[in-house]
Amino acid sequence: MRKKAKLVVLLALCISLILGSTAAAETPYRTYTVDGYGYVLETQSAYNPASAITKVGETSFVTPMDMAIGRDGNLYIADAGAHVVMVSTVGGEEVRMIGEGTLQSPMGVFVSDDDKVYVADRDARKVFVYDLEGTLLNEYGKPDSPIYGNTMDFKPIKVVANSTGTMYVICEGNMNGIVQISPVEGGSFLGYFGTNYTSLSPFQILQRLILTDAQRAQMLSNIPSTPTNLHIDEDGLIYTVTQGDQDMALKKLNIAGKNMLDSDPYWADLPAAVTTGQYHNMLVADSDGYIYEYNEEGELLFMFGGRDDGRQRIGLCNKVEAIAVDSSDRIYLLDSDKKQVHIFTPTEFTNLLHEALYLFSKGRYTESKEPLEKVLQMNSMFDYANQAMGHAYLQEENYTEALRYFKLAKSADGYSDAFWEVRNIWIRNYLVMAVVVIVAFAVALSLYKKRQLVKYGADGAPARLSQKVPLLGSLKYSLHFMRHPFDGCYGVKREGRASLACANILLAAYILVSIIEKYFSGFLVKTVREGRYDIITDIGTVLVIFIGLTLCNYLVVTINEGEAFLKELYCAYAYCLTPFILIKPFVVILSNVLTYNEVFLISFANIIVWVWMLVLLLISVKEINNFSVKETAKALALTAFTVLILSLLICIIYVLFSQVIDFISSVLREVVYRIGS
Amino acid sequence: MGRSLVKFAIAVLVIIVVIAVAVVASKSGGRNSLDVSQLQPAVSAPAAALSDGAVDTTKELDGHHLVAANDNYELYLYEPALSIIVKNTKTGAVMESTVRSEERLGSVNETWKGFLQSGIVVELQEETNTMQKKLGIEGSGATVSVDLIPGGFHAKLDYPTQQLGFEAEVKLYDDGSITACIPESSIYENADNKKIGNIYLFPLLGNSRLGEKEGYMFVPDGNGALIYLDDKDGRFDSGYVQKVYGPDIGVGESYVLSLLWDRYETHNDAEMILAPVYGMVHTDDKMGYLAIIEGGDEEASIYATPNGAYSDYNWITAAFRKCTTYIQPTSNSGGSVTKVTDRIKYDINVRYMFVNGADANYTGLAKRYREYLLEKDELVKVEDAFKVRLDFLGTDVENWMLWKKDAPVTTVDNIREIYADLENEGVTDILSIYKGWQDGGIFELPVTSYDVSGSIGGARELSKLMEECEQKNIDFYLFADGVRANPETGNTTFDTVKKMDKRLYTEDTHQTVYDEFVYWTPQMTLENLKTLQQNLTKKGVDKIALSEVGNTMFTYTMGDTMQTRLVSKHLYEEALKHTGETMDLMLEAPVQCYWQYAKAIVDMPISDSDYIYTDQSVPFLSIALKGILPMYGDYVNFEANERAYFLKLVETGIYPSFYLTYENPSELIYTNSSDVYTSQYSVYRSQILSYYNELRQISERTKNSMIANHEITDTGVTIVTYDNGVKLYINYTETALEADHVTVPALSYVIGGSVEKDFSTRKIGASPQFAGASGMEVNAG
Repeated sequence: MRKKAKLVVLLALCISLILGSTAAAETPYRTYTVDGYGYVLETQSAYNPASAITKVGETSFVTPMDMAIGRDGNLYIADAGAHVVMVSTVGGEEVRMIGEGTLQSPMGVFVSDDDKVYVADRDARKVFVYDLEGTLLNEYGKPDSPIYGNTMDFKPIKVVANSTGTMYVICEGNMNGIVQISPVEGGSFLGYFGTNYTSLSPFQILQRLILTDAQRAQMLSNIPSTPTNLHIDEDGLIYTVTQGDQDMALKKLNIAGKNMLDSDPYWADLPAAVTTGQYHNMLVADSDGYIYEYNEEGELLFMFGGRDDGRQRIGLCNKVEAIAVDSSDRIYLLDSDKKQVHIFTPTEFTNLLHEALYLFSKGRYTESKEPLEKVLQMNSMFDYANQAMGHAYLQEENYTEALRYFKLAKSADGYSDAFWEVRNIWIRNYLVMAVVVIVAFAVALSLYKKRQLVKYGADGAPARLSQKVPLLGSLKYSLHFMRHPFDGCYGVKREGRASLACANILLAAYILVSIIEKYFSGFLVKTVREGRYDIITDIGTVLVIFIGLTLCNYLVVTINEGEAFLKELYCAYAYCLTPFILIKPFVVILSNVLTYNEVFLISFANIIVWVWMLVLLLISVKEINNFSVKETAKALALTAFTVLILSLLICIIYVLFSQVIDFISSVLREVVYRIGS
Repeated sequence: MGRSLVKFAIAVLVIIVVIAVAVVASKSGGRNSLDVSQLQPAVSAPAAALSDGAVDTTKELDGHHLVAANDNYELYLYEPALSIIVKNTKTGAVMESTVRSEERLGSVNETWKGFLQSGIVVELQEETNTMQKKLGIEGSGATVSVDLIPGGFHAKLDYPTQQLGFEAEVKLYDDGSITACIPESSIYENADNKKIGNIYLFPLLGNSRLGEKEGYMFVPDGNGALIYLDDKDGRFDSGYVQKVYGPDIGVGESYVLSLLWDRYETHNDAEMILAPVYGMVHTDDKMGYLAIIEGGDEEASIYATPNGAYSDYNWITAAFRKCTTYIQPTSNSGGSVTKVTDRIKYDINVRYMFVNGADANYTGLAKRYREYLLEKDELVKVEDAFKVRLDFLGTDVENWMLWKKDAPVTTVDNIREIYADLENEGVTDILSIYKGWQDGGIFELPVTSYDVSGSIGGARELSKLMEECEQKNIDFYLFADGVRANPETGNTTFDTVKKMDKRLYTEDTHQTVYDEFVYWTPQMTLENLKTLQQNLTKKGVDKIALSEVGNTMFTYTMGDTMQTRLVSKHLYEEALKHTGETMDLMLEAPVQCYWQYAKAIVDMPISDSDYIYTDQSVPFLSIALKGILPMYGDYVNFEANERAYFLKLVETGIYPSFYLTYENPSELIYTNSSDVYTSQYSVYRSQILSYYNELRQISERTKNSMIANHEITDTGVTIVTYDNGVKLYINYTETALEADHVTVPALSYVIGGSVEKDFSTRKIGASPQFAGASGMEVNAG
């Protein structure tokens, strides 16, 4: 009977494995990717949950803490509660138990390419090394080197080893970094590796300056976090994840301990484990059950999974401790809370992407286009594939196609490179024609001027429109103001050269130009997403800032014996915006034909515009109020202070108001409840 | 100054309170809840004769005595615990409804002992405890008085300590059916603070301990799933629990929402229970039953518990909710009280249909279910012709400056072009649902008139297209969401669903344009659909696809009265009946009670939810419905395992569906349809052609016949046999497999069995080969 039952179990397992690996059941989680803007969007399922191992043979897990996959394809699961490393097939059959009687609290396990099993035992304070049969080969205790520190405890929780047998050990409570131990002479300490550093925020620096020693002692000490988990790939690169490190949660360290990732690609709070696949792809498991897959540069490909929260579906986890990938790209996730190993199989979609990754990393760009095209066919918004297509076309010197794909992928660097080439070709083709057109235009202009001269004589030009219409006159005055601010301010203050209407028009023009700049700048300098409009906020922001500043400034100068009236201030400040209105349109046009090589031109132009405006503003404050330099400085400082107070006031009013609303809605709810019951 | 301000504030408050009271009072007076008899149609007895012949009541089996018998089955009863045993007289196999022997019971606590030893278990709702207490019969001091009636027995249960009780009636019929019923009229609850929470009817019927029996429990998860009766070695600490017809949004029983980065919903909902059935099969004894919940299905939950979870026993049952607790918030800062609902009034009716011999397997259960549905007119045979379903998304909107801007992705002209292109390729059997045709796009809700968006071509063009479709024999349906309301496009101040706690139900979209939707009350849905039907009929539109109406059921409040799931079901049924009178209806994954109104079912689940404790996914609903009601699957677009999905379509006889746009779906990225990430027709063209040709070819052979058998061989080949003799061999693995001397290539299928047609006429598909001389066709992918 018992045997029969077992047979049924086995059969069931086989069937569930067969079915699980291919069945089209809807996954319990969604898969997301990010586009070139960093915008999160859904995509086809990257991995489907296949099955779960709940027991190794007849043995249940007690406190499984770590897992590794050997070259034999077996799973090595360190169970701290069962004091043993369980060796299991992927079907959950027991192969053997390692370290029974020796291990006290195995927290980490690693199987090297030369088939040695390294076990980090926290309570035994040792790293044990076994062969695959479970024979103890070596054990390494606390290094006796003085550099390690005599008072520092040795509590290994995770371990990996490179091809020479050098061990990298994460120890509990050791903030100095990863302990590097060489196997020679029974274990010699090589030093600390991949140390995490802390950084101080400006606020913390300020705090430290102000607080007394006693107060500082009470603050939480700012010590670096110990890495949570680590992994070593076939090239000997070490990957670490650190919980609580907001800036660099995931690191890819070379042999010298230098991080090879430019920025932290990891976006969640609780990384639990990291591993790499066959294509240098990195996989990070979050403690909450999310899995993130990156390419070797750390660009996010997929994120999927999630917390179980009682759903009891395969593929959802509660507390992930370890992640592993086997030779057929299946992902294994160890959950210490549910005491299960979840197995995920890559889908057809992911297989295509992996193929492309592989070809791409080998430099076979043209070949990589085929799987990439299929990926894009399945999901045309998968920007990683768009970008890779762009690179492939760039290599093939098909620049227009490359440009198209880079734009789709929102990849600024790629776009800049491709655009440089495209522009080059254009210049080569049309340079002569462009010169001819410009020369012809210049000739035509000079001819026209000559004719005008002949027609009206040297002084005989008809009365300008600006002289007839006063508004145009005062608009034109802004040009004068811009070039001769002292003179200009005198005109505004004493000669009544400014009009309110003109200032309004200038302000409107400023808003218009700033909107144009925001939405119509070239691809490389644009800061908003293609096709995204929020005009109301744009207008509102300018108005609130401009009017707010003018008002605050007016309040300050009036009590500081300034001579300005509100209208004069408003007009003068509006005139100060002229450089922006005049220069920016050219910058916008320029930005559409520049690459990253010449983008400094735009920054330069921007600096000119802003400095010019600032100078105009300072002079206006001084001149309109008839201030001395000292008085001007004082007025400006006071204005800044007033702005601060005003914004504080608005904040307080807002908070109070929302409290009132909250109170009223609470009362209403209470009423509904009382009436209902 | 200060005092006058206080006075002013008080005055404002008083006014607010008065208005609130007035509003609440005016709304509560209006509509009252409907009468039970109106909501629940009477359950008719099985067509077979009652097994009311005289029996020898002294005949005993395991302490039970005989109460009814027919040619195949005997029904035994042990009165004190209301325990029954069903015995197959031909084979001697039995199914017991309790665990009588103390020895077998092992070490379970008193609560579970009561549960395992009682034919009917009540979960007691005391005060406002959120944990309900299980009451068995013997341990709780309940008294049972039984009258034997023709064909079965009538029992009266009284729980004197709890001052409540009810009556139950169990009868055996000649076709092997046993009906059990607890009428609402017999229920009494005399104590204020003690109420019936849930009732379990024969929770352990067909139980087995650990791995002592071979067989499985059938759960209606998605298309169907099995839990084997093997020894689970304590791997699971809970089992399958799902509400029939999906979760109840009105009584917050949903999961804690855990969002990725507090923003992205990462979970997919589990498949719903569309059919109120469950089953137990002992394959070694060749005995099994299919239980159909005929009354109270709206409020039932199905429990399937493998051994190791709670006890050593495998059991499956339905629990009927009679009242429930809910949280009534009283302040914004988290203050709340727990409250208990009134009793939900309905009769409980379950029919257990026993099967034996060759029928004692899941195929047998599915066939029995099919017969049942046809007998009850719950299902009307519709002509089953193969069609490929091509749904189009017309337009959605995105935020633009101060307004919203249309993002048309498939215009009427585009559709015409696509049809013409497909016709050139020989694709003519098409069914389409046009979504987002209305002015304002797909989420402009409610849809009550034929107000066609100008950006897709306008009303005249759309009407013209529909006429052309009529001539070309293309089924062209317009899409409408009957349940959702969009607070930004319609007046949703009144007539929207308020949950039991009288708070508005809102559904977060996690999208940018419209961030939440609410639900119309079923009363309003009924009115909206009536108006829509009138307006569409006027314009000559006679085909409509409705989403949500067919699979949404909830408890809600109107004024201060509770409206149960029975009300929403009743009103939705009214709406569908009414709309179906003049229009062809297409329903999205509808639950069983609406199948009779549909011309076809779309978004049919193709598999199960992959729970950790389910062992195998079986196409139960497909077996029951294939050949009677056309079924269309979920969209192929979003499938990552495209080949495996295709084979699933072959296996289940479900027709393929594509979600298409003419433009690149990147146009939709700023709309609420941004989750449509792949849909461009030009991308899917070749796939549509190959799916069409291959599946149509299979369909030609299986047309109008039903599935007679479904099995998975030891080698892993899935074999589906139709009643006209055609056999489909499907191999999901990546190595070639053999079954019945047929070699099935990896990830492929073979059509075999009796072949009536000449092959030479069939010249479509991806180079089909002949497998040997036995008339097999191989189709390698």
